[in-house]
Amino acid sequence: MNSRSLLILSLAPMLGASQTLAQAAAVALFSLLSLCLHRLCMTPLRPLLQGLQTTLVSVLLAAMLVTCLELSLRAWALEVHAQLGIYPALIALQCVLLEQSFERHRGVAQGLLLVIGLCTVHLLLGLCRELLGSAGLRLAQLTPGALILLGLLLAIFNRVRRKPAPSSRQGSL
Amino acid sequence: MTPRARAVLLVAAVACLAIGCAIGWAQLNAARISQAEVQLKARSLLSVLPAERYDNQPLQRPLVLPAPTLAHSTLLAGYRATLLGQPSAVVLHSRVQGYAGPLDLLIAIDSHGRLLATRVLQHQETPGLGGKLSEPGNTWLRGFEGRTLADTPDPAWALKRDAGQFDQLAGASVTSRAVIRAVHDALRYFDEHSHYLLGTGEHE
Repeated sequence: MNSRSLLILSLAPMLGASQTLAQAAAVALFSLLSLCLHRLCMTPLRPLLQGLQTTLVSVLLAAMLVTCLELSLRAWALEVHAQLGIYPALIALQCVLLEQSFERHRGVAQGLLLVIGLCTVHLLLGLCRELLGSAGLRLAQLTPGALILLGLLLAIFNRVRRKPAPSSRQGSL
Repeated sequence: MTPRARAVLLVAAVACLAIGCAIGWAQLNAARISQAEVQLKARSLLSVLPAERYDNQPLQRPLVLPAPTLAHSTLLAGYRATLLGQPSAVVLHSRVQGYAGPLDLLIAIDSHGRLLATRVLQHQETPGLGGKLSEPGNTWLRGFEGRTLADTPDPAWALKRDAGQFDQLAGASVTSRAVIRAVHDALRYFDEHSHYLLGTGEHE
């Protein structure tokens, strides 16, 4: 499985927190913040570490970040915290997965693009669920419906984005 | 120092730093968090009471409820609201078994045993069906407002399909029954203990 699809899959645990546009926007904002901070912390450490150590440090930092995020939410935005439930804590998973996928293709601009893409997908999902839900389609409000919607969105995205056809030639040149 | 030992040391240092940061942040915010929790609780508890109904701080003096386990529900807390020194209303926090888990309701009853308002504090009902209860100003929940045990006799506290007086919330008959029973329980409890709850009887 390539690292990008792994990253897209990291949206799956967050599906529960995209019932309304407001919820989705909050989660997208928090993940943007946490992902950037996590990357900022990891950048100076990465050259000093390798293999398992990188993963360990990345998990530790992600856990710390989401703990602080959750505490801050409880202190300043308790209502948001009550609405989102456990989902802010799951952002740690996204941080770790992003870190993993970065080992292969580096570059700040590309990484930022990826993160913004993730947040946009989440926002779109929230918008679709709110619209469909208010139109009377109950499935869209349930979590399984969100998973189906995510699949549809990705399918449309893949259809629209015209990639150069993969070479049919086998083996290396 | 071997590179391996250095890496282990670095990981340990990061671990200590991360844990330290988290604990420090928790300590720093502890007071603010507990304050925010109290405020949120106050806001949600008092949202069932119209502001002109009370001038005290009902939450500061929770009532000790005798025999809080009722026929279908359990009372978790009770608060007395007073206006100009006279008891004006009682807010009961009731927990009943819903469709998917416990359903917490706030039930406000005025001094004549008339239901003022009901509100869902927390629930695990199906979103879009039973979950609609938690929407502010839910019309089905507002259907209970103004009811008393005098104008709605005991057998009438049921769904129409169970020969009672109430419509059901579409697609959520279990949730609807739970709410009706909890409200009925609370009104009966109020009637049985009204002197104590209002602080007007000799039990005070």
